[in-house]
Amino acid sequence: MTAENSKNPSNGPVRNWFRGVLLDWDRTQMLICFLLVGLLALAPLFIHSTYYLGILILAAIYAFIGISWNIVAGFTGQLLIAQIIFLGIGAYTTIVLFNYYLVSPWVGLLIAGLVAGLFGIVVALITLRYGLKVDYFALFTIALMVALRTLFLKWKFVGGAVGMWFRLTEPSFDKMIFADKEPYLYIALGLVVIGLLVQYRIYRSKMGKYFLAIREDEDAAAALGVNTSLYKTLAVVIGAAMAGVGGGFYVMYVTFIEPPQVFNLGLNVEIVMAGPIIGGLGSLAGPLVGALLNKPFAEIMRGALTEGRSGSSLIVYGAFLVLTIMFMPRGVTGVLHTIYCWIIRRFTSEEPGEDQNGAA
Amino acid sequence: MALLEVTGITKRFGGLVAVNDLSLSLEKGQIIGLIGPNGAGKTTAFNMISGFYKPDEGDITFKGKIISGLRPDVVCKLGLTRTFQVVKPFPQLSVRDNVMVGAYNRTNNRRESRQKAEDIIEFLGMQDVVDMTASSLSVAYRKRLEVAKALATDPKIILLDEAMAGLRPVETDNMIDLVRQVSKQGIALLLVEHVMRVIMSLAERIVVIHHGEKIAEGEPQDICQDKAVIDAYLGEVEIDVKG
Repeated sequence: MTAENSKNPSNGPVRNWFRGVLLDWDRTQMLICFLLVGLLALAPLFIHSTYYLGILILAAIYAFIGISWNIVAGFTGQLLIAQIIFLGIGAYTTIVLFNYYLVSPWVGLLIAGLVAGLFGIVVALITLRYGLKVDYFALFTIALMVALRTLFLKWKFVGGAVGMWFRLTEPSFDKMIFADKEPYLYIALGLVVIGLLVQYRIYRSKMGKYFLAIREDEDAAAALGVNTSLYKTLAVVIGAAMAGVGGGFYVMYVTFIEPPQVFNLGLNVEIVMAGPIIGGLGSLAGPLVGALLNKPFAEIMRGALTEGRSGSSLIVYGAFLVLTIMFMPRGVTGVLHTIYCWIIRRFTSEEPGEDQNGAA
Repeated sequence: MALLEVTGITKRFGGLVAVNDLSLSLEKGQIIGLIGPNGAGKTTAFNMISGFYKPDEGDITFKGKIISGLRPDVVCKLGLTRTFQVVKPFPQLSVRDNVMVGAYNRTNNRRESRQKAEDIIEFLGMQDVVDMTASSLSVAYRKRLEVAKALATDPKIILLDEAMAGLRPVETDNMIDLVRQVSKQGIALLLVEHVMRVIMSLAERIVVIHHGEKIAEGEPQDICQDKAVIDAYLGEVEIDVKG
């Protein structure tokens, strides 16, 4: 290594940096993610069909929402099954602000995140107050989702059972309305990049270590000075706020919302859970990798199997999820990690792990 | 005033009195053994002192401050931590990350926490397994990891709950050495232990509890001779045949 550097000094720092990244699985995952985002950004050069671009946009939105769930369920291990309630609240916030108060969706998305985050605090405090954990926590969130669906179905202000159409006008950047698909794709990718960076910062910080410690063993974490209630709340609030922003953008893109669409357990599986589970729950690359496999697969199945046998695509999709969980419990990223460890052992003398500089 | 002063703590679970009016005190750097037959209430006492249970009666004072009823993480911040009888590693995290969780108790900085974790891992002779996940460790290493995590929080007192149970004799000897070294750093230790050899060679004073009550307290050699203690462990000599 040093001999190489002295021969080729200009190459040294870049090479060292690259070596540092590749020897560190966390940063290798980020590299994979950014390569995937780069590929998606180039997609409009090759894909002109609005149908296929639409799938990619939804995949990117799912990836961002998947990241939000990954922080709660993957990092702290809290079974916030019905994460979609925060998506719904964010979506309704954005559309109500735009339709009734003419608030630009750019601002609306931030307010959506704020409102969903506040609602996250309420959910976290109630569950902590009554000590709801694991399955009870999961059931509570599902019950909450059902209650919210009923509430929104009766609530005339937000359109009730009829739902709400986004008040479309001429294409305008301020109103986040575009004639083409490409701008939506780039905004979605922007969200994914922000999501990935937030997730990485958390993962590598004290907060991230505390999140993982809570997931692994809550009592042991408390004995080591982790305020488990505080950190569990933080995870829910961060996840909720991100899901709120994601929901806001989702409704901007699909332009319509009704209660069964966002307070729906089936969609919750497709939008929130499938990506991280296929990709690898708790890993950094999991939500993005999973979303890129999940959404296109679901669409292809829908296209190929719906004719004359409506619903059969769901059976295949369900089987796909079950098989993934059975044979890849750590998801695609888990398989990649195994291959990665083998390569590192095979081609270097070093043990795979975090880099020794610990740049964070 | 002793570093840790436990006065008359009582814990009831429904009709069962798990710990009844237990008192003990611990000075800086001292090692005290807490022994008793199975179900005597040792672990319940630990749970109260470390903040997992709130005592129904009595007070626990640490560094002159009443800590009974405080949360475990607050107690740990003050400088009192514990290990668990059934070891509780963070199974999917590496040994380094396990210890870093403890080290973050005194710092928010990743680099500092990492450095401290690695120092402690070296002190415990676990460098070889630093990158392994805790789930792949042997029992002896898991017990050691418990101590490493506790040490990383920078405590004044560590409550060790059966740190040597299930170890082979050589491993036990290593662990005894380790506990001595920890004690030399000025950290006080309260040991719950079934392996009498360990208690006898380490503890300066022993507290014996039976059915939740303290039945004896004193130097190790006196405790071995104590009639009440022998009865508690071996059963009363006069067996009640009517039962």
